Amino acid sequence: MKINLNHYKIADLTIAMEGAGETLQRLMKPYGVDTKGKADITMSIDREKMNKTGEEYPHLSSDEWEYIQTGYAFACKLLDFGGFCLHSSAVALDGRAVLFSGPCGTGKSTHTNLWQQYFGPDRAVIINDDRPALRMAKNIFYTYGTPWSGKSTLNTNVRVPLGAVIFLKQAKENHIRRLDNKEAVQMLIYQSQRPSSYRNRMNSLLTLIDGLLHKIPVYQMDCNISFDAVKTVYNEIYQ
Amino acid sequence: MKIKSDYVIREVAGTCVAVPTGKASIDFSGMISLNSTGAFLWKQLAEDKSEQELLSAMLEEYETDEATAKADISEFFNKIKAADLLE
Repeated sequence: MKINLNHYKIADLTIAMEGAGETLQRLMKPYGVDTKGKADITMSIDREKMNKTGEEYPHLSSDEWEYIQTGYAFACKLLDFGGFCLHSSAVALDGRAVLFSGPCGTGKSTHTNLWQQYFGPDRAVIINDDRPALRMAKNIFYTYGTPWSGKSTLNTNVRVPLGAVIFLKQAKENHIRRLDNKEAVQMLIYQSQRPSSYRNRMNSLLTLIDGLLHKIPVYQMDCNISFDAVKTVYNEIYQ
Repeated sequence: MKIKSDYVIREVAGTCVAVPTGKASIDFSGMISLNSTGAFLWKQLAEDKSEQELLSAMLEEYETDEATAKADISEFFNKIKAADLLE
């Protein structure tokens, strides 16, 4: 008997998920599809096993643990389909996605939130506030919303061509510069959701990062929290 | 001596990088970037090799003298030993 079997479409892939808890089902609902036939990715949650592994993290509720684990499993399986997840806050503006990346606490969400304030939430849409999926289709790198978007659960079920990746650093003055490949490779590897156990998937990730660097500009931005920071990026990317 | 087999070595957009997988990734969550000499030596160490074998390989591959090759190898070893990259 299939318990809670639902189908979803995420990053242009069909996913069959079985055994998800109520909270996760609710978060995934915007991605739900009616579908027949074989799914690209199948995820089956073993409730008992999930609870057991979650015991190591008592500060997380079972819902939070399930959310994190399924998000990680998706990011790993995505690598079998030419995609990966980058730890970043992704905002879409005027048909292009800009990803603000960097370690936790750098201010990624703060920055995309400023974009929404400055351009208005209709024009600046948060695609995914924590871990958007990036995937190539027809030679274009797309940024996708997914249900897994960190603590804020801010995400939109959209697909937007990737315009730029910007690594943030807190500073007094706003200054943006293009990164050379050597610097960019390290930052991208550090902020990608890495499949620690799977050698072939790690190779896939490195291939994708290589592909990204050939197509997409990567920047470092020293920034403060201000509309001037928003304008600095906008002028560089959109003008 | 041999590099831990858990490492994946690849060229990514012109930089040679080594990234841990499996058990090695538990001990080290970062990555290592290698210049061309480093990448050459790293690949040599995919199989068990002695320092003498490395020296011979370097002299065969590069137009360099023994003293320079020895210095390069020594520098390389200091880095990988410090990062616990050998089996």
